[in-house]
Amino acid sequence: MQLYDPTSSGPERLLNRAPVLPSLDGKTIGVLHNGKLNAEAMLSEIAALFAERHGCNILPVYAKANASAPAPAETLAQAAADVDFLITGLGD
Amino acid sequence: MPLDTARIHEVPDDLLAAIDYCYEQGWTDGLPVVPPVVARVEAMLAYEGRPPETIICTHPATTLELSVHAAAVNAVMAGCLPEYFPVIVAAFEAMNEPGFNFHGSTASTGGSAPLLIVSGQYADDIGMNADVNLFGPGNRANATIGRATRLILRNVFQMIPGISDKSTQGNPGKYSFCIAERARGNPWPLLVQEQDYPEGVSSVTCFAGGGFFNVENHGGSTPEQVLGSVADAMANYGCITLGQSVVILSPEHMGIIAGAGWSRRDAQEFLFRHARRPVEGMKSVGKYRDSEYAKQHGPEAHTLIEAGYIHRGHRPEDILITMGGGDAGGHSCFIPSWSRARSSLMQHKPIGVCIDCD
Repeated sequence: MQLYDPTSSGPERLLNRAPVLPSLDGKTIGVLHNGKLNAEAMLSEIAALFAERHGCNILPVYAKANASAPAPAETLAQAAADVDFLITGLGD
Repeated sequence: MPLDTARIHEVPDDLLAAIDYCYEQGWTDGLPVVPPVVARVEAMLAYEGRPPETIICTHPATTLELSVHAAAVNAVMAGCLPEYFPVIVAAFEAMNEPGFNFHGSTASTGGSAPLLIVSGQYADDIGMNADVNLFGPGNRANATIGRATRLILRNVFQMIPGISDKSTQGNPGKYSFCIAERARGNPWPLLVQEQDYPEGVSSVTCFAGGGFFNVENHGGSTPEQVLGSVADAMANYGCITLGQSVVILSPEHMGIIAGAGWSRRDAQEFLFRHARRPVEGMKSVGKYRDSEYAKQHGPEAHTLIEAGYIHRGHRPEDILITMGGGDAGGHSCFIPSWSRARSSLMQHKPIGVCIDCD
């Protein structure tokens, strides 16, 4: 008996991790705020810890219009140009 | 994918062993599936005019793609007959619209399930149930079209419980959540007519349904009484949001409402006006947010929005109302949309035809 495979038939996806930064000291952080109830407070606190411990600079928050949709490509492109690393999270 | 490159699994010619094999591969929803043998998949594909490699839906976060072929394989597994297949294709084309927010509604802790509402002649042509026990078991088309939807989400889009599907509790509709709109005795235009499709076309509407509320009212004898109880269900503190709503009126309730001369628009406006909670009440349960109030009461606020209240939705058109179920019983239902905000908006597509296609 021959069975067709029912799982994804799309092309192989290219998923790479970003290279690890050699040091966090003095780096610029972006904060991607997803709009959830407590996200801004939580993410700002985390960013402040990076600033305190590693002297990082914090850039203004990049906001998503819809918490559950992927961030717009232009938002990510802008963030990639502006910052050394980005932090995000739900904050629900 | 082209059929000559589709992945094939060779298994012994033993039907029960093949069912067990599907379990072992993690391809099921927990219930046994029909093994997707080649001949049955090809019969399913005969009901779609486009090549099997045609992509009909893409997951926006993972970029995983649903081809016509993969949809057919999962439809076989769900137990669909080939003539059901155009409904499944149209449903995923609807869910592929950005407004449906396919990723969020299938991954969220909210645990929604896509509710499919088939409107028009095609529902009768394939023997769907729009009548007694509407949301219950017993009808092959309703049950297996809804089940195929879930199997595609699981197998093609990899929305695996606990991994990518983070539903806190889920809901029973995640096994199957598919109905037909009742045309027989329906005093209002069918949904497909309101959706402005050409005569003779049928449609499927997809809605990220967050649960199911029975609305019992055997004593009400006026539209205000019946719809008042529906509005109260829509505004309960457990689920009031700015999101959309589906209301399926039982024939008894519809008889009271339409019998008094009320149109669908009249009912939508009544529900929108009354499905609301005061700001102080929202604060009392910790659900009030200034930003949500500002969205609803801004410069473009609907004229029925009342100061000092949070209404369910943004406008009367956010409430889909139609008729379904058996003749007897004062039982209607309300189905809330997934998400606290308006993160998923219902979408519809024609079944088996291409309108204004490139």
